[in-house]
Amino acid sequence: MDITDDEILKLVEIIKVTSKYDFSDYTEKSFRRRVEKVVADNKLSIDDLIKRLKTDKIFLEKTVRDITVNTTEMFRDPNVWITLRDKILPELKNKDSINIWHAGCSSGQEVYSMLIMLNELGLIDKTNVFGTDINTDMIEESKRGIYKYQFNSIYFENFDTVFNSPEDVEKRGKLTYDKYFTIDKNKDLILVKDFLKKKPFFRTHDLVNDDNVFGIFFDLIICRNVLIYFNNKLQNRVFDLFHRSLFPDSFLIIGMHESILGPFSTRLEKRGLYYKKRHEY
Amino acid sequence: MKNKIILIGGSAGSFSVVTQILTELPKNFRIPIVLCLHRLKHVRSGFAEALSLKSANPVVEPYDKDRIEEGKIYIAPANYHLYIEAHKHFALSTEESINHSRPSIDVTFVSAATVYKENVIGIILSGANNDGAYGIKRVKDFGGFTIVQNPEECQVNTMSVSAIRIMKPDCIFSSDEIIKYLIDINNKIYFSK
Repeated sequence: MDITDDEILKLVEIIKVTSKYDFSDYTEKSFRRRVEKVVADNKLSIDDLIKRLKTDKIFLEKTVRDITVNTTEMFRDPNVWITLRDKILPELKNKDSINIWHAGCSSGQEVYSMLIMLNELGLIDKTNVFGTDINTDMIEESKRGIYKYQFNSIYFENFDTVFNSPEDVEKRGKLTYDKYFTIDKNKDLILVKDFLKKKPFFRTHDLVNDDNVFGIFFDLIICRNVLIYFNNKLQNRVFDLFHRSLFPDSFLIIGMHESILGPFSTRLEKRGLYYKKRHEY
Repeated sequence: MKNKIILIGGSAGSFSVVTQILTELPKNFRIPIVLCLHRLKHVRSGFAEALSLKSANPVVEPYDKDRIEEGKIYIAPANYHLYIEAHKHFALSTEESINHSRPSIDVTFVSAATVYKENVIGIILSGANNDGAYGIKRVKDFGGFTIVQNPEECQVNTMSVSAIRIMKPDCIFSSDEIIKYLIDINNKIYFSK
């Protein structure tokens, strides 16, 4: 029943040689947990899983999608969004254009949160927003912009925390959800409005293998709760990628409980809830 | 002996007990404590700060890959699972809820049991669901010391009753007895000659 260390290594190796994916530098424990889940969900033995991965490309793609973790929500950690509004975006607002990259955007809720924020600040037209994820299903979901209504009341609680403080409401009245969403309670759906949906550019991107595929520099990169699944070595490679992809004096936001250790901790300077790329001479 | 760890799990009705425990533990309390408490969805921040005010030692929400240190009290951050990994490190994850809970007490307890084995002191307090029961059972399986708060004292006893149903804890204690036990074992490990 228990999966041995050898079997885990074998699995990583098979995925690596038969596909473009490489889980060697995922944290061993989290990778193991995901494999255990795949094995349990598919009612397979580990031997059968290994055999099937070798021969069935479609199954391999599905397995990779199941191994990666997809958790996100609208305006997750409202304090981060308040910081964006009050500290980060004001520093960028006078630029001719603003480039933002959501790396590991999962099903896209954070990308749409950003677009709402940009629209409220009058910055949406000059901003280019990119959302990437390793998981092709997640990219399709992001493009659809349709989410479950039930169990997601936190989206609207967060929205109110960010936009409808007593002072905000007094100043401009309550910001209503229907400005950005169509809520269909009968069908249990939240639909993002079309004018937001046509704005972002979504594509697959694998932080393990792919470089900056956009050919541009960014003013802000957001990558939250992705690095927790990577070991220190891979984290450093990703920080290097981000560092190379950012303009000087631009911004990086990672998860509330993630931190930068190692060589990039001095080159990306922590300022409360975000990091700023230092000028290097 | 100086590699023990204390795990405390609870949900509804546990906040006052945790507050009492942290208020009464002395400044020289060295054994690291890991709290895994369910909280209301909208009470996501300020919890560690509130507990810090009561406690002689700092209460912190760990970052991913932080090392576990003596004299510190850690609390699982809202909306993450908190794992305890080899070489005394924390790991966080946003994987699916377990027992409708994230953080899940089972997750923290089972991961700690496999790493710290007989050096775990696992405590289950008041709570409204059965998360934690399997976790404390595994602590016992790995040779750790297990305490369940007396169900008669729990504000909500679902959690403690669920635990007792599937394992035999070393002690069923009141909150006062839990505090006395913790102070004694800390003194025995760090201050006896």
